[in-house]
Amino acid sequence: MEPRIAPSMSIMDKLNILADAAKFDVSCSSSGSSRKGDGKGIGNTVKAGLCHSFAADGRCISLLKILFTNECIYDCKYCVNRCSNDVPRASFTPDEVCELTIEFYRRNYIEGLFLSSGILVSPDYTMELLCQTLYKLRTVYNFQGYIHVKAIPGADPALIQKAGFLADRMSVNLEMATAEGLQKAAPNKHRKTILKPMKLIQNGIVANREELVLYNHAPRFCEAGQSTQMIVGALPESDYQIMAVAQSLYQKFSLKRVYYSAFVNVNEDKDLPALPGGPPLLREHRLYQADWLLRFYDFTVDELLTQDRPNFNMMIDPKADWAVRHLELFPVEINRADYRLLLRVPGIGVNSARRIISARRFGPLTFEDLKKIGVVLKRALYFITCNGKMMYPTKLEENYIVRNLTYQSLASKKERSLFSPDGMRYEQMSLFG
Amino acid sequence: MPEEKYLICEDSIEGIFTGIYEAYALKEGHDHIHLQIGEEENFRLFARYLYIAPDSVKTMKVAETIQKRLGAEVYLRICQALATEDAEKGQAVYQTLVDGITKKSGRRVLEHLTNPYVDKVFRLSRSASNEIHRMLEFVRFQELEQGVLFSRIGPKCNVVSFIMPHFADRLPLENFMIYDENRDLYGVHPAGEEWYLVSAPEEDVSDVFRMSEKEEQYQELFTMFCRTIAIKARKNLKLQQQMLPLRFRDNMVEFHKN
Repeated sequence: MEPRIAPSMSIMDKLNILADAAKFDVSCSSSGSSRKGDGKGIGNTVKAGLCHSFAADGRCISLLKILFTNECIYDCKYCVNRCSNDVPRASFTPDEVCELTIEFYRRNYIEGLFLSSGILVSPDYTMELLCQTLYKLRTVYNFQGYIHVKAIPGADPALIQKAGFLADRMSVNLEMATAEGLQKAAPNKHRKTILKPMKLIQNGIVANREELVLYNHAPRFCEAGQSTQMIVGALPESDYQIMAVAQSLYQKFSLKRVYYSAFVNVNEDKDLPALPGGPPLLREHRLYQADWLLRFYDFTVDELLTQDRPNFNMMIDPKADWAVRHLELFPVEINRADYRLLLRVPGIGVNSARRIISARRFGPLTFEDLKKIGVVLKRALYFITCNGKMMYPTKLEENYIVRNLTYQSLASKKERSLFSPDGMRYEQMSLFG
Repeated sequence: MPEEKYLICEDSIEGIFTGIYEAYALKEGHDHIHLQIGEEENFRLFARYLYIAPDSVKTMKVAETIQKRLGAEVYLRICQALATEDAEKGQAVYQTLVDGITKKSGRRVLEHLTNPYVDKVFRLSRSASNEIHRMLEFVRFQELEQGVLFSRIGPKCNVVSFIMPHFADRLPLENFMIYDENRDLYGVHPAGEEWYLVSAPEEDVSDVFRMSEKEEQYQELFTMFCRTIAIKARKNLKLQQQMLPLRFRDNMVEFHKN
C-alpha cells in the first residue's frame, strides 16, 4: 500500500493524530496486576489501578492510549481510521512509543501504555510491530509498569502468545453484539477471527496459572486478564442480546471486563444511525449497571431481561427494576438476611452489605447505623426492615415505589418541594384516619 | 463524682500515642479521661488538665501493643486517621483502642461501627486513605535542570510519608522530591537509596529550581494528549469535576492555562 505518512512529522503531531485515533477505545483501566518494582528499572503496578487524570468527558486517563499507526487496510463503517476516510495518517517508531511512555511515566502522568493499532499491511505484520515495541519497552527501557495491548484478529497465535508475556492485559474488541451486525458494519472482520484470539488468550492464562503453581517465578501471562468492547446503538440490537453476549463472554471466556461504548457516528455513514440527541449515554449507563450486577451481585441476565422485555427501563436502574418486580421477597430484615439477599436490596452495595454482616455481630443495627455504614436509605427504605420495623410507613406496591424512586432521581430539590409525590406528604398521614 | 481529666497532647502520632500511654498509666478507667490535641481555649470548671510531652519510648510501646493486639491492618488505619487534621482524632483513636484492647473486640474492632468513636476513626482513616490514593494519582513531577524530579502538593492530610514508599518502589533509580506546601515537609528520595523526610521552613522553591530543557516539551505533549483524548460528543465537565476536584488542579500541569 502507498505510504501516506508525511516524512518529517513532529512527535507532537504524531501524538495528536494517534491519540485522537485511539480515543474511542473505552478501556483505560490499569487494574488487576500487582507487581513491585525490582529496583533495577522503572515502574510497578497497583492492584486497584490508578487514574492519573480525567478528560473533559469525565473519563479517566490512566494509560497513554495511542495507536501505533492509524494506517488501516480495513474499512469498518463506524471507525474513523477506515481506509476510505481521508484523514491525516501517522505512525510511531518503537523508540518513540518507548520514550513517550517512560517520560510520561516518570512524571506520574500515566500508569502505563495502552497500545492499539490500525492494520498496517497485514494482521501478522502489525502484531509483530506491537510485539517489538513492547519487547523493547520491557527489556531495553526496563519498564515494569502496566501495559495493555490489543490482540490483532487474524494474527499468528505465536505472536499473540508473545505479546501476552509482555503485557498485563490484552483485549480484542467484539465491536458488535451479533455476528450479522459485525458483518454489516465491518465487512473485513468476522466473528470467528475475533473469538479465536480471545480463546488463545484465555488458554494462555489458564496454562500460565498452572505453571505458576509449579514454579513461582514463571513469567506472567496477561496477569490482569483480558477485556473486550461492544458498540451500543449503532445497530438495532436489544439490551437483552448485548447482555446475553456479555454474560457468555464472562462465563465461557473468563473475561475480566466487557466495555460498552455509546455509538458516535464519526463518519456520518449512511448505513449507521444519525443520533441528533447525542450518543445513547443513558443506555450505556444502564448496561454498565447491569454488567456490575452480573459480576458482583450474582445476577443472571435472564433475571433482568427477557425476550418479551428486551430493553432496560430508562427511568429506574436495573436492580431497582428487578426489585419492584419481585416484591414477594421484600421487605428484607437487615439483622438476619444473608449476604446474597442483602446485595439484592436497592441502595445496598457490596461494601455496605459486607459492613452490615460484620457490624451486626456486635448487636442489632438501626436505621441510623445503616446510614453511617453507607446504605442509601432513600432507595433502600422500601425494601428493608430493622428489627421488624420499616423506616417509614410505606406501601409495598410496585407503582408506588417506582413513582417514588424515579421521582428522586429526576426531580431537583426545588421541584420536589413543589410537586411532592403522594404518600410522602406529611399532611396526608392522618392520626385519626 | 469522679474528676474529668484532659490530657493535652502534641498533634503528631508520637504526641497522641504518648497521651494514650499516659491515659492507661492513670489506671482510672477510661470514661472520664479525654485526649485533646493542642491548647484548650475554653477551660472547663472542675476538670484537671495534664500536659503530655511526646516520648519516643512510650510511643513505641503503644505502637507495638496496637500491632500485636489489633493487627497490622488496624494499626495502619489508626495511623491514617491520625494523619487527618480533625481536632477530635486523638480522643477517637484512644476510645477505639479501649474498645479493641480493654473490651477485647480485638482485630475486629473497626467493624464495630455502632461505637461512635470507632465510626469516627473509620471515617477519618477512610478520608485520609482516599486522599492518599488520590495523591498517588495526581502527583505531578517536573524534571529540574539536574535531572531531579520535583513535585509540589497541597493535601488536606499529612500524606507525604504514606505516598513516599509507593514512589520509591516505582522510581528506584530517580532522584525525586515531594514537597507538601501546607506543612513545609519534603519527602526526599536519592537514587538507589532509602527515602527520608525533611522539615524545612518556608522558602519559595520555584526560584531555586529551574526546569530541564525537555521538561516544557513533555508538559505540552501531555496537556495536548489530555485535550485530544476527550470525546467531544460526550463532554461532561461536571463529571470531570466530580472525579477530579478543583483543589487538586493547581499542581497539575494539564490544567495550567497557556
